[in-house]
Amino acid sequence: MASARTETLGQSSFFRDKILLGMSLGEYLRSLLTPFNLVAAVILAIGVPSLVYRFAAGLGASTNLSQAYPWGLWIGFDMMTGVVLAAGGFTIGASVQLLGLKDFHPIERPAILTAFIGYVMAVVGLLADLGRPWNIVMAIVNAGSASALFEIAWCVMCYTTVLLLEFTVPFFEWLGWKRIHAILKKSLLALTVLSVMFSTMHQSALGSLFLLAPTKLHPLWYTPFIFIFFFISAILAGISMVIVESALSHKVFAHRLEGQPHVDVDKLTIGLGKAGAIVAFAYFFLKLQGVVDGHAWGYLLTGYGALFLVETVGFVLVPSLLFAWGARHAKVKVIRWAGAMAVAGIVFNRLNVSVIAFNWQNPVRYVPSWMEVAVSLSLVTIGVLAFRWICNRMPILWEDPAFADRHED
Amino acid sequence: MTTHDFLGLYDAKVMEYLLALVYLLLFVPMWRFVQGRPQAAEAGADARAQAPAGATAHPLLGWFHVPDGVALHPGHAWARLDADGLVTVGIDEFAQKLVDPEQVRLPATGDVVRQSRPAFAVGDQVVTVPMLSPVDGTVVAVNGAAAHGAGALRDPYGAGWLFKVKVPEAARALKQLLDPAAARAFLESAAEGLSHQLQPALGRVLQDGGVPIHGIAQAVAGEAWAALARKHFLTDRSEP
Repeated sequence: MASARTETLGQSSFFRDKILLGMSLGEYLRSLLTPFNLVAAVILAIGVPSLVYRFAAGLGASTNLSQAYPWGLWIGFDMMTGVVLAAGGFTIGASVQLLGLKDFHPIERPAILTAFIGYVMAVVGLLADLGRPWNIVMAIVNAGSASALFEIAWCVMCYTTVLLLEFTVPFFEWLGWKRIHAILKKSLLALTVLSVMFSTMHQSALGSLFLLAPTKLHPLWYTPFIFIFFFISAILAGISMVIVESALSHKVFAHRLEGQPHVDVDKLTIGLGKAGAIVAFAYFFLKLQGVVDGHAWGYLLTGYGALFLVETVGFVLVPSLLFAWGARHAKVKVIRWAGAMAVAGIVFNRLNVSVIAFNWQNPVRYVPSWMEVAVSLSLVTIGVLAFRWICNRMPILWEDPAFADRHED
Repeated sequence: MTTHDFLGLYDAKVMEYLLALVYLLLFVPMWRFVQGRPQAAEAGADARAQAPAGATAHPLLGWFHVPDGVALHPGHAWARLDADGLVTVGIDEFAQKLVDPEQVRLPATGDVVRQSRPAFAVGDQVVTVPMLSPVDGTVVAVNGAAAHGAGALRDPYGAGWLFKVKVPEAARALKQLLDPAAARAFLESAAEGLSHQLQPALGRVLQDGGVPIHGIAQAVAGEAWAALARKHFLTDRSEP
C-alpha cells in the first residue's frame, strides 16, 4: 500500500514538474489566462470547427475552390509556404553537422523543432485540401516515379520522419532516457545527411509541379528553372526564419534561459545575416534571369509586373542589402527586420506562384472563403502554441549539461 | 510583336550573358562588403562606453568577447554562478585563441581548488601550461568533453566549460573577480599588448582588419609559446 502511494506521488511529481512546470493544476490553469492565449483561443474556436465542418460537409461547402481553381489557400499558404518556411531545419542542420559551423549549434534545435511543427501543420493543411484525404496512401503504393507529386509525397513523408527522429534527442533528454538519447544523438549526422537529401528533392520538386502548367502560370513567374528558384528561395527562407525565430524565442523565453550557458544570439544573427545577404543577392539575379529567359520583360509594365517587382525588389533585393548593411555594421535589429521582410517575401512568392499568378488568364478570380482563412490561421496558431509548449518544457533553447557530452561526476 | 515576344532569341541570350556578367561584377564588392570586419561592433561600443575615465583611448580591437553573467580572473579563467548554486569554471576566449588547446588537464572531482593557485592546465600533446583557479572550493563535476581539447573548447563560454565547483559564499567570491564590463576592458588591453607582438606569419591581423587565428601563441612565439602563455596566465612563476 505504502509503495503504491509512493509511486502515485512519484507520478504526480513527474506530471507536476514536467507538464505543469512545477505548478499545481489550479495555478497552471490560472497562468494560462493571458491576452495572447485569449486571442489564440478565439482563433481556434472558429478554425477548429471549420476544419471539422470541412471533413463533414466536404470541400464544396467549406471552400471557394472550383474546377478552375483547385488550389487555394490551403495549398498556397499551408503547404507551399509552410514547407518553405520550415527549411531552417535542414539549412542550420547542414551548417552545423555537415559544414562544421559549430557556432550555430545553439540555434539548431529550435530550427529543427520549427521545421518539424511546420511540416506537421503543412501535412494537416494538405489533408484538409485533398478531396479524398484517405487516398493519400496511394502515393506510397503507386510507383509514380516520373511524377513530381510522387517525389514530393515521399520526400515530405520521409523528411517529417527524419525531423521527428531529430526532435527525439531533446525529447529524450527531457525524459532523462540516457541510453536511447545517446543512440539518437550519435545518429544525428546520418539524419542530417538524409534531411539535406530529402529537402533538396522536395523543396525543388514543389517548383517542378508548375512545369506541368507552363501556360497557366504567369510568364514573369514561370521558368523552366522554377525548381532551382524554389530550392534557392528555400535556403533564403530557412536562414530568414531562423533569424526571426531565434530573436523571438530568446526574447519570449528569456526567463527559461536564466542560469543556462550564455548564447550570443546577436553574434549568430550577424553570421546568418551575411549568409542571407549573399543568398538573397544571388536569388535576385536568378529571378531577373528567369524574366529574360522567359522573354517576359514586357509584362513588367503591367499590374502583374508591379506585383513581381514588389516581390523581387521589395522583398528580395532590399532585404539582401539590409542584411549586408546590418552584418557589416553589426546592426542586429536591421538584420532581424531584413529577415522578417525576406520571410514575408517568400510567403508572397509562394502565394503568387500557386494562387495569385496561377490561372492568371482566367476571368473568374479565386478569393478564399472565411473558413479557409480560419483553418489556415488556426494551423499557424496551433504551431505557435506547440512550439511554446515544447520550449517551456524541453531543452530546446539550451542543452541539458548532463547530456551535453560525457559528464563525469 | 506581343509582349511575350519582346526580345528575339539572340537578343535575349545577349541580355542573359550581360546580366550574368553584371551579377559577377557586383558579387565581388558585395562579398567583400559583407565579409568585412563589422564596424562599430556593439561589444566594442559597450566597452568604450564603460572604459574608466581618463583611460588612454586605444582603438578597440573587439577580438575577444565576454558574455554577460561571467566573472573573469586576470589569469584568463572565468567563473559563473549557476542556478543550482554551483560555480562553473572555464577559460576565456583570449586563452582559448592563445593556446587552442589540444588537451586540458582537469582536476578530479573531490579535489579542492584555491583561488589564484594552479588548478588545471592547457596545452598541446607535449607541453601543458598551468592556469589559475578563479575561485576557492571543491570540484564536484568536470567536463570530460573539454578534456579532449579543441572541439568543445572552441565554445569557451558554452560547451567548453571545464569544471563545476562548490564554493562557500559563491556570490561574494565572484565579486572579487572582474565583472563583464571590466573584463572586456581587460581583454582589450591584453589584445592590445598581443597585437604589438604579431608577426607576418600570423596572416591577416589587426592592421588589415583580420581577427586572431587559433593558437596565436605558437604563431607568435614558435617553440617558446608556452612561456608566452604562462606570462598571460600569470603562472610564469608557478610550478608547471
